[in-house]
Amino acid sequence: MTEPFLSIRSIRKTYGQVTAVKNVTMDVAEGEFMTFLGPSGSGKSTTLYILAGFQDPTDGDILLKGQSLLSTPSHKRNIGMVFQRYTLFPHLSVGENVAFPLRIRRASQVEIAERVKKALKLVRLEGFEERKPALMSGGQQQRVALARALIYNPPVLLMDEPLSALDKKLREEIQFEIRRIHQETGVTILYVTHDQEEALRLSDRIAVFSEGEIDQIGTGQELYANPATHFVAGFIGDSNFINAEVLSNEGGQARLSLSGGTVIDGVPVHAGKSGGKSVLLLLRPERLSLSTRPLDSGLVVTINDITFLGNNIEVTTHTGNGESLSVRLPFGHEAISSISRGDKAWLSFEPKSTHAFA
Amino acid sequence: MVMSATTDGGQRTLRRDGSFGYVAPGLLLIVFFFVVPVLMLLMRSVLEPAPGLQNYVELLGSTTYLRVFMNTFIVAGLVTVVSVLIGYPVAWLLAIMPDRWSRLVLAIIILSMWTNLLARTYAWMVLLQRTGVINKTLLSLGIIDKPLSLVNNLVGVTIGMTYIMLPFVILPLIGVLKSIDPAILRAAALCGANKRQCFARVLLPLSLPGLAAGALMVFVMSLGYYVTPALLGGTSNMMLAELVAQFVQSLVNWGMGGAAALVLLIVTLVLYAIQLKFFNPNRAR
Repeated sequence: MTEPFLSIRSIRKTYGQVTAVKNVTMDVAEGEFMTFLGPSGSGKSTTLYILAGFQDPTDGDILLKGQSLLSTPSHKRNIGMVFQRYTLFPHLSVGENVAFPLRIRRASQVEIAERVKKALKLVRLEGFEERKPALMSGGQQQRVALARALIYNPPVLLMDEPLSALDKKLREEIQFEIRRIHQETGVTILYVTHDQEEALRLSDRIAVFSEGEIDQIGTGQELYANPATHFVAGFIGDSNFINAEVLSNEGGQARLSLSGGTVIDGVPVHAGKSGGKSVLLLLRPERLSLSTRPLDSGLVVTINDITFLGNNIEVTTHTGNGESLSVRLPFGHEAISSISRGDKAWLSFEPKSTHAFA
Repeated sequence: MVMSATTDGGQRTLRRDGSFGYVAPGLLLIVFFFVVPVLMLLMRSVLEPAPGLQNYVELLGSTTYLRVFMNTFIVAGLVTVVSVLIGYPVAWLLAIMPDRWSRLVLAIIILSMWTNLLARTYAWMVLLQRTGVINKTLLSLGIIDKPLSLVNNLVGVTIGMTYIMLPFVILPLIGVLKSIDPAILRAAALCGANKRQCFARVLLPLSLPGLAAGALMVFVMSLGYYVTPALLGGTSNMMLAELVAQFVQSLVNWGMGGAAALVLLIVTLVLYAIQLKFFNPNRAR
């Protein structure tokens, strides 16, 4: 078996009584774009800081090309990083900021000039050498920071929510730039964010963090189609959860009874913390179909509200026992013209496409 | 860093419709008890004993007086350098300490500033004298075999004045150092900079405005210092303020006293102008 490029092995980090990272293990391939996705306090930033060498793990190891990184101090790890806050050196010009790592490495004047020019070209900021960081926009500053982190060709680039201080439009623009730079340079990127859309847009694979552990690692599509846990299902994409009861369970395929007596068969069940009969059933809003005619296997709901959202229509409903469900219908769906608030309707779905979490 | 309280970019407009009247008593007080006496003293420097610049010629032409000037600059420079060398690490520590602790240490520093200057200087005299605590301790530990002369010389003046001036270096530095985002230093470390390079290439340049403000303040204050040099210094390293006092008190030579005072004032103003030009906190970087 070939050695993984970057290997994080059973990392644990505790501060006194508090455990920030419980048990994080993953392998990252060379050139991969791996995103740590999770809410704040889920341990994703701490893991990144351990990689950067700002913190030492309580347990575990990190191997880069088979060599442990832990005994190497930050300044010798040769790792690039872009931070959440603006960290350009305010007393230096853009050119000097980007040149900083090379000056530290005592590169020749000619080489520095050439590589700074190339790095600024990579982030599309040619000709900004003399500008002071304070006179640049947030997006430009983060691009300079990116150039500074890449100029010494680090094997790994860490990015700690680099776009969280920017507005939505600018964020999307720079996401596109980051993708392009990743493709052009082929650098391995570990990217931290709490924004699922950003994670889906950028990453090759996503590691979903929850309470100091990784719930699931996979491509965006895998996480969306086959979430391993209730948390992942709720974090990636839009989701409805309703209560259901397990009637029988054979090899992970369950027969479930829903509120109102509807019974469905062949639902994939994921084992969870509670091993009981009651489960939460994941229903994606866009996988639900709505009908005004009674259906045998359908779920009876009452319409709360109908909202036109442009390319689709969101219908919020509630079941007989008060669970709310939102349904997303394509524009021009036949049922739309014949329903209004307070009406009864029947929801149907493919049992195989849903997931139940114990 | 001390920031001006104005929000309009420093361009205060004085309303003339009567509000000027409220500051008049204060202004008059300053004019009569401060500006006029100073002007009178300065006038006497060109009027006594006869109108002309002979006082200045004598002051700047004599090696004795030039030595006093030199000595003033040496002491002020030495105190500034030592204050910065001690004050910078203290300010850094206070900037990165948890607030609870830094407030305590800061309180101790400020408390020392509120203690009477004369009392503090006499305390140093007691500590530094030949039979003082410091010499006795060093002797009993066998580190030295005869008492060091720590007082009535340059060493004594430097120690005493550094102690008094330290807060003026530490306080402006804390503000500047606290305003530096620790993430910037982390970024520097990942760029490959070791601790020494982080300090020399990032921390020091970024804290230079605060450092310069503090150092210049200490230097300027030291130039005109009287009590501490008079008590802890020796006769061979007299400072300018002592010279002024001697002219006026012992020699009753108001002309020479005024001339020496004016020279001191001009040097101070020039340094202040330099500070405003290069390290004005109210101007954009």
